[in-house]
Amino acid sequence: MDMVLIPLFLAVALGVGLYARAIPQGNGGWWRFAAATVALAVAARLAGHGWAGTLLASSAELLAVGMVWSGGTGQAHAAARKYLTAVLLATLCGWTALALIHLGEVRPAAPWDRLAVALLLIGVALKLGLVPVYFWLPAVARASSAMTTALIVAVVDVGGFCELLALRDVAPWIFTDFAPLWIGLAGLSLLGAALLALAQRELKPMLAFSSIDDMGYLLLGLVAGGADGMAGAWFGILGHALGKIVLFGAVGAAEWHLGRAVTLDDRGLSTPLPVASAAFMLGALGFIGIPPTLGFVGHWRLYLAGAELGGPALLAVLYASSAMALLCYVRVIHRVWLGPAESPVSGRPLPPAAALVLLAFAVAPVLFGLVPNALRPAAEPHPHVAELASNPAANPAGGVK
Amino acid sequence: MTSITLPILLLLGGFVLQLLLGRWLTPVGKGVLATAAVFASFLVTLTLVPASMAGIAVEAPLLPVWDGPFSIGLRLDGLSVLFMLMGTGIGAAILLFSVRYMEHEEQGTTRFYAIMLVFIAGLLLLAGAADMLGAYLAWEVIGLCSYSLVGFWYRQRAATDGARKVLVITHLAGYGFLIGLVLVYSRAGTLVWTDPAVGTAFTSGVAALFVVAAMAKSVMFPLHSWIPEAMNAPTPVSALLHSACYVKAGVYLIARMYVVGGGQWHAALEVPLLAVGCVTILVGVIFAMAQTDLKRLLAFHTVSQLGYIVVALALGSDLGLAAGLFYCLSHALFKGTLFMCAGAIQHATGTRDLRELGGLATAMPGTAKVWIIAAASIAGVPLTNGFVAKWLLFGAALDKGLLAVVLVGWIGSILTAFSFLKATVNAFYGVPSKALIGRPVHEASPSMLAGMGSMAGLCLLFGLAPQLLMVPVVAPAVRSLGFDWAVQMSWLGILTDRGGIAVTVGGAVVLASAMLGLLVYRLAQAPASGLVSVYSGGEPLPAGDRPGAVDFAEMAESAFHPVYSLDPDPVFLRIWRGLTRVAGAAQAVAGGAFEDRPLLAIGLAAVAALAGVWLV
Repeated sequence: MDMVLIPLFLAVALGVGLYARAIPQGNGGWWRFAAATVALAVAARLAGHGWAGTLLASSAELLAVGMVWSGGTGQAHAAARKYLTAVLLATLCGWTALALIHLGEVRPAAPWDRLAVALLLIGVALKLGLVPVYFWLPAVARASSAMTTALIVAVVDVGGFCELLALRDVAPWIFTDFAPLWIGLAGLSLLGAALLALAQRELKPMLAFSSIDDMGYLLLGLVAGGADGMAGAWFGILGHALGKIVLFGAVGAAEWHLGRAVTLDDRGLSTPLPVASAAFMLGALGFIGIPPTLGFVGHWRLYLAGAELGGPALLAVLYASSAMALLCYVRVIHRVWLGPAESPVSGRPLPPAAALVLLAFAVAPVLFGLVPNALRPAAEPHPHVAELASNPAANPAGGVK
Repeated sequence: MTSITLPILLLLGGFVLQLLLGRWLTPVGKGVLATAAVFASFLVTLTLVPASMAGIAVEAPLLPVWDGPFSIGLRLDGLSVLFMLMGTGIGAAILLFSVRYMEHEEQGTTRFYAIMLVFIAGLLLLAGAADMLGAYLAWEVIGLCSYSLVGFWYRQRAATDGARKVLVITHLAGYGFLIGLVLVYSRAGTLVWTDPAVGTAFTSGVAALFVVAAMAKSVMFPLHSWIPEAMNAPTPVSALLHSACYVKAGVYLIARMYVVGGGQWHAALEVPLLAVGCVTILVGVIFAMAQTDLKRLLAFHTVSQLGYIVVALALGSDLGLAAGLFYCLSHALFKGTLFMCAGAIQHATGTRDLRELGGLATAMPGTAKVWIIAAASIAGVPLTNGFVAKWLLFGAALDKGLLAVVLVGWIGSILTAFSFLKATVNAFYGVPSKALIGRPVHEASPSMLAGMGSMAGLCLLFGLAPQLLMVPVVAPAVRSLGFDWAVQMSWLGILTDRGGIAVTVGGAVVLASAMLGLLVYRLAQAPASGLVSVYSGGEPLPAGDRPGAVDFAEMAESAFHPVYSLDPDPVFLRIWRGLTRVAGAAQAVAGGAFEDRPLLAIGLAAVAALAGVWLV
């Protein structure tokens, strides 16, 4: 059993539940879709790498679309349609690719292996919202409540990425033989999303682009493989999940206080919302990858993986992306949160339960950053993955490349 | 093993106690607790000196199991002990000063003392880290502490703007350290400073990346412009972080690089480092001369003084390193003292604007005396540690035949003396300004005087008998960097193993400095409440008139106006604006092409993926 991700998902569910009771995130339909999404994501992790797990993960994605749809507004329905398009196409591409490669057990002869990789590339890009097929994530972030997007990013996307990690173990040829394509996709997301995040004035879409940027990082680690790449991807995805709950949660608290979307034109929110402000800052520092957060543990390993994979050139790309992320988050912290409030303090205060959730999720990455080994996955892979990995057919001599 | 980790553990214990007891303790109680923790840490650090003098590097794990194969451990050698003594010793004095200085803060004192303790612990970890990864962790932790403390008054725009600048400049440049160590690890498979494999992997390119990171932390031109903005922090922060310790992190890194591969990198980087240091000396002091805000003036002098230290280290000789490290300690003492004096003035008068000060020697005689000692020290007046530091630096430069470096240092010293003459006269002598008339100005409290007075006393002690610092602290540090150096020095820092032109030129410098000291001395003897005759550099002033801070600033701006165009901030601003314009253009293109037309995005991605898999 996955002793890290399942507790993480359950903790996220508990935290989001407490938060949503204090600061409403949606109607009864939202609660049902959210609970079912998390339950299916947990079930997918319990099932592990296999058709059952894939089916459960895809079902969780479809239910996440329901969360967005339950917003009820025209904007929410439009975003849900975009998200549904992405989910359906990603599922179609992903399932077809997995069928072609028998879940990684075989490498089909040409041209089917290439087709499988192409389909996987498209499926992964759509599922994680990578550049250039990111269209659904900013739309969902704009149209949905903060915790809706947080759940999608921290549970659904994280689950999907962990499926990729398992596939990396089982069928490394998908990544090693086609590394330039995966690196290109990762680089495009790293730089493109970081640049687009800088262009946003509204905070929720900015956080969405920041997620895409971070996924680019993680994808690089996955492609690099090895101890550093896999550890970087693993710690990175955990930091990503915790960080996004904090960041979206803090912005949700500000929306609750102001009664509208938060933009770069807002000022001095740390005065009425000191806990949310502190949580946002801690979450941002983790996301930027500043020690001693878990984000740093992931980032530094990914830098090592980047050096092995692409040398100084790839390090330069990573640096550019990190620098833009820093500028982006620091701008938000200093324009929106810190400094004098421009208008008299009024609005709804942060409920204690929501403050508790934000603090817990903000402090956790710092504590885990000091003892990251506590979050290492079990040494033994899932039995199904181990069976596939030990099967000689997983790397058939009949491959083309 | 206990005494190795104990200095850090004591500080972290103090941090935990601050958090646990913060609700119940008064601001004074929190200050006393923090001071006690740092002082205890200082005492334990002192016990490490004998091993350091014997040339023994002691080791202990701090986080034996961290991330996979990586652990965080300590390896304390002479250089580590020097920086640990500086951090805890100066830290204890400044926290003692803070007890009364911060007692009237209505909120945030728990945060203040807690972060100060973490900062000092971070500095100790930086100095003692056995490998580059531990050092980088500490590097960023102290950076975060600096950011938090500069933004202590986070509801004030000036404070948060300063904090933002600190974080952006130091962190972006700090990536140089991270990328450098990543490159080293990918080549050597280890990050231990003293590992021979690291020496092989430590190319001049990697060294340059480290130096860039060090330049930002240690305010080298052109990455220095964050420090004046950081002066919006509480004064103890300016004293501890932005004069004594934080800005020395870069100095530490440059010094530590000498243990890697026998300092082979030095051959490629000596000239660039010397050039950066020399430019920094002059730019810093010239900008300082134009300031009328006391803390900003001190901040620019920090820039200039750090230039001296880096120049000394860049010389790459035993005497150069000794000069740099002695200068590092001396600067911590005299600049920390000056900042505390500035804080005491602001505490007493409510302002630090030189245009609104004057005649304070009457109301604050103790502060005035302390200030004059520290000002004399920074100007390099004999009998102070500042003189010894400059003397050693000039000697080291002359040894290598670098007369230009001596000339730059000498000009910098003269300008420093003039700048402090302005500050001293405008703050302490003459008649009080109109702004102060009717305001009850009081002397600093005994604990504040004790904090800054103890450091001023050390400025004199180490000026008279530098051997007291050289033998147990500086010489072991130099030896730990691989240089076989024996202290051959008499009282007042006169070297006994040097001759010829070095002594002749040095003697002239001593004479000039002594005359400057005499000038300061005579000014100090003038009746405090009367007007002071000041040499204005031109025609005598009419009776009863005197040059004020504004006159002096205008004179400096007139004399050095081309230098003021060397402000790097407009360049940084242009880069930022360019980046946001590019981001806006990207959003316009991507929004229309990809967000609004999902099928177009998917189609393009599909074509690219299919084409890609057949091309790879």
